[in-house]
Amino acid sequence: MSGSKTNKDRLIFGLAFALPVVVFIISLNIGSYPISPRMLFKVILSVFSPSSQPGLPAALKDIVFQIRLPRLLLAVAVGATLSVSGASLQALFKNPLVNEYILGISSGSAFGAAVSLVFLGKGFPPQIVAFVFGIAAVLAVLIIARTSGSHIVALLLTGIIVSAFFSALLALVEFFASPYALQALFYWLMGNMSLATWRDLALSTPLMAVGVILLIMLRWRMNVLSMSDQEAKAMGISVRREKILIIVACTLATAAATAVTGIIGWIGLVVPHLVRMVVGVDNRRVIPLSASLGASFLLAADALARSLASFEIPLGIFTSLIGIPFFLFLLKKSRRVWL
Amino acid sequence: MIWKIPTTTRAHSIGRVFLLALLAIFSSVLLKAARGGIPEEKASFKVRDDLGREVSIPQRVARVISLQPEASRILVALGCADNLVGFDYFLNKYDPLFPRLCPRSQNLPVVAYPDASVNLEHVIRLNPDLIIASPYDTHVPDSLQQKTGIPVVAVSSLGRVEKLLEEIRLIGRVMGRSERAAELIAFFQETTARVSRAAGAVAPEHRPRVYLCFWSSLVRTPVIYEPVTIAGGRNVAQDLAGNHSVSDRTVVSVEQVVRWDPDIILVHGNYSPSQRAVTVDDVLGDKRLRSIKAVRDKRVFYTFGFWSWWDPAEVLIETLYLAKVFHPALFQNLDLVKEGNAIYKKVYGIEHGYSILCQSIQCDEWLKD
Amino acid sequence: MSVSVRGLSYARGNFRLRIDSLEFESGRLTSIVGPNGAGKTTLLMCLGGLLAVPRNRIFIQGRDIASLKDAERARLVSSVPQEHNPIFNYSVLDFVVMGRAAHLSLFSLPSAEDVRLAEESLAFVGLQSFASRPYFELSSGERRLILIARALAQRADVLLLDEPTSFLDPKHEIEILELTRKLAVERGQTILLTLHNLDMAIKYSDSLVFMKNGGVFASGRPRDILSDALLESVYDVRMKIVDCEGQKLILR
Repeated sequence: MSGSKTNKDRLIFGLAFALPVVVFIISLNIGSYPISPRMLFKVILSVFSPSSQPGLPAALKDIVFQIRLPRLLLAVAVGATLSVSGASLQALFKNPLVNEYILGISSGSAFGAAVSLVFLGKGFPPQIVAFVFGIAAVLAVLIIARTSGSHIVALLLTGIIVSAFFSALLALVEFFASPYALQALFYWLMGNMSLATWRDLALSTPLMAVGVILLIMLRWRMNVLSMSDQEAKAMGISVRREKILIIVACTLATAAATAVTGIIGWIGLVVPHLVRMVVGVDNRRVIPLSASLGASFLLAADALARSLASFEIPLGIFTSLIGIPFFLFLLKKSRRVWL
Repeated sequence: MIWKIPTTTRAHSIGRVFLLALLAIFSSVLLKAARGGIPEEKASFKVRDDLGREVSIPQRVARVISLQPEASRILVALGCADNLVGFDYFLNKYDPLFPRLCPRSQNLPVVAYPDASVNLEHVIRLNPDLIIASPYDTHVPDSLQQKTGIPVVAVSSLGRVEKLLEEIRLIGRVMGRSERAAELIAFFQETTARVSRAAGAVAPEHRPRVYLCFWSSLVRTPVIYEPVTIAGGRNVAQDLAGNHSVSDRTVVSVEQVVRWDPDIILVHGNYSPSQRAVTVDDVLGDKRLRSIKAVRDKRVFYTFGFWSWWDPAEVLIETLYLAKVFHPALFQNLDLVKEGNAIYKKVYGIEHGYSILCQSIQCDEWLKD
Repeated sequence: MSVSVRGLSYARGNFRLRIDSLEFESGRLTSIVGPNGAGKTTLLMCLGGLLAVPRNRIFIQGRDIASLKDAERARLVSSVPQEHNPIFNYSVLDFVVMGRAAHLSLFSLPSAEDVRLAEESLAFVGLQSFASRPYFELSSGERRLILIARALAQRADVLLLDEPTSFLDPKHEIEILELTRKLAVERGQTILLTLHNLDMAIKYSDSLVFMKNGGVFASGRPRDILSDALLESVYDVRMKIVDCEGQKLILR
């Protein structure tokens, strides 16, 4: 029942809170440096009362607080951001195949990172230019599509074209880049969180938080917007304004995420669908649950990527390897029509 | 289709002869092209390259195109600089030292590009007797040989000293400079033996444990890097060597580096300082690494390292340099500038080679405090 | 007068709608009829604010709809589209609750009151037991009813329906028209329909508006304006009106 809090609702939302927390705690225990749960507990205690744990090796503290913690928090933020953006855009574009990169953010960010790494070199963290070009790509799409009335199909097509344009530019930059800059660039493009620091978090989390919170607040509105533009207008929605608002929120958050972690695919497509399979398509549930499941998903994927081998498997590969089969399995199992 | 051949007039019979002659010429050209165009009678010996291909090498190789930077350098070291008629973009654009080793390279055409593509027409126009290519792009040597009809040999050191020496031997043989090749190999082995003998005095457990961060990243490291071992150090990433799934260059995690707790960290330095994505200061200032012994003791230095290709002279200098880093007391009389210049003189015949190298990458600053 | 049109001129491609003056009685059911391409749907879309019209052309409850914000306008007039292509399989109640959008601010969620109004609208169309059923399971007749329920939840003064009975079987056709009649009579809502079925239009409507070639050909009570000559002029086909068991039927 919409609106009323039934027991099932409470259970689902309870799980939604608990899941990321549980996965977080488990992930905190995973890493190349062996730390037992007991040790971990002591390390955390030592922050609150340093004197209580005198013999603790300095390395343990740094591992937990400088390496694992920022990385996990980033995973939570990015996982939630990409999922919520994907879910919102799927509702907005009335198309289940849409993902958070559809308006050109990934190509724009990749190009921005390339420009920064190749031309601006060391002095400039690539995050800034990556972010700027991620936004620029979406702006280009919005402005170009405006001439065709900002219709959904116009936006989609323009998104594809602008993405292709930036991809071509990226290839050009790669061709002329020195092999030294190229190495750094390839690493960025693969999508990774292995170098996440508190500074990265500080730079990107505010934007991601603002975007995600905004989208969560607009979740019921998305239901109405997922009807045809005409119907939404007839029901009293300023379609153009609200569409732009949602796109802006998605773009800011996703560009901030991509600038820091590179391109991590599949999350924005798979997670919202998984959520819909379980709780239906009402965005009042889908959006917040996508945030929760997305955060857990990326935490889990990152934990696996770190622990399965002595070297780090690129995260983008991992999200595909986990996401796709799981998705196919659920698709087969669920008999009712969910879309 | 049945051709009605006229049998009567004279003009017709001349026409017939002409047609048959044309047919004969055409088919012989086709056959020649199909055979790869190597005149069998001129080929003198066969070699087996790094991809396992058997290649027939002509008796005399006067014109060589080298698509592989290491091979280009080796050609110069063997005294074959004048035989080089074309080379690759990397050596052309990103090696500040090569124009000094081979001055005429500044006017040499570039025929291979960053995306591993080769300008076939230009190659054919240059009419080389031999092409040396990289075995990393596995399909290129065969396709190049088929399309141009020129023998292509794929060799590389693949980051191993033994293979480097083999490469020198092979190229020496192919170019008819086997004596000079033997000379270079002997010099190389003498120099490394000198170092490993002196470093051998240090007991294994006292050899410093070293982490190498190469290739623009804190977490990319070579599993095997022999100069470290020769100079009496222990590469911490060597733990991973037995693992089949681990390639020569592997990506580890920051945590893993902390776990290894190396005594020394070496940062890749043989390229322009402005391009360095990871610097010694970065490592020293990184909060995540501060518990590591190397960071606490401030034993974080640059080293030469390598991208994909070696320079034999630089490998020797690397070994000497590392010896000084690992065992300063043992090698305190080692004058790197003097030795370095001597190595460049011996290998390439140029003066002040090491000093020139230092100008572009500032390697003379590396051991200063 | 609830809805009035003054000097409306709307061009769309080659087609031109031109209406000098038209009034719709409040609390009444009016059917807009006419041949294909006469401009019925265009007129309806203009009235619903779905097409951009200049100011001072269309007034609902005395207010110029061109000067209203979307939400304000939606509280005055609601539209039921002819076609609906659903992508997401909402539950029926979630679907109907969407009609409350005009009464909710940007970041609000539907309150218990909004849900109650939605349930009431659902009951009005007789589908209260369908509340938790998924939309895709409904038949086309039921879907039409849900669309009407959603428009009802909007609680607007004027309700516009574009071809609400097309593709429906006679039973559902009658059901929907009875429903709209009930809305006009019991709730005093102003209902405007476009219909192809003349017999039904005559039976259920308080007023008729005949359109042809983008303009109003005639309007008024059926008993006042209906004639064979009128029908022939509008449809370019000979028709005859006959009385049969108290109902008017059109023979063609």
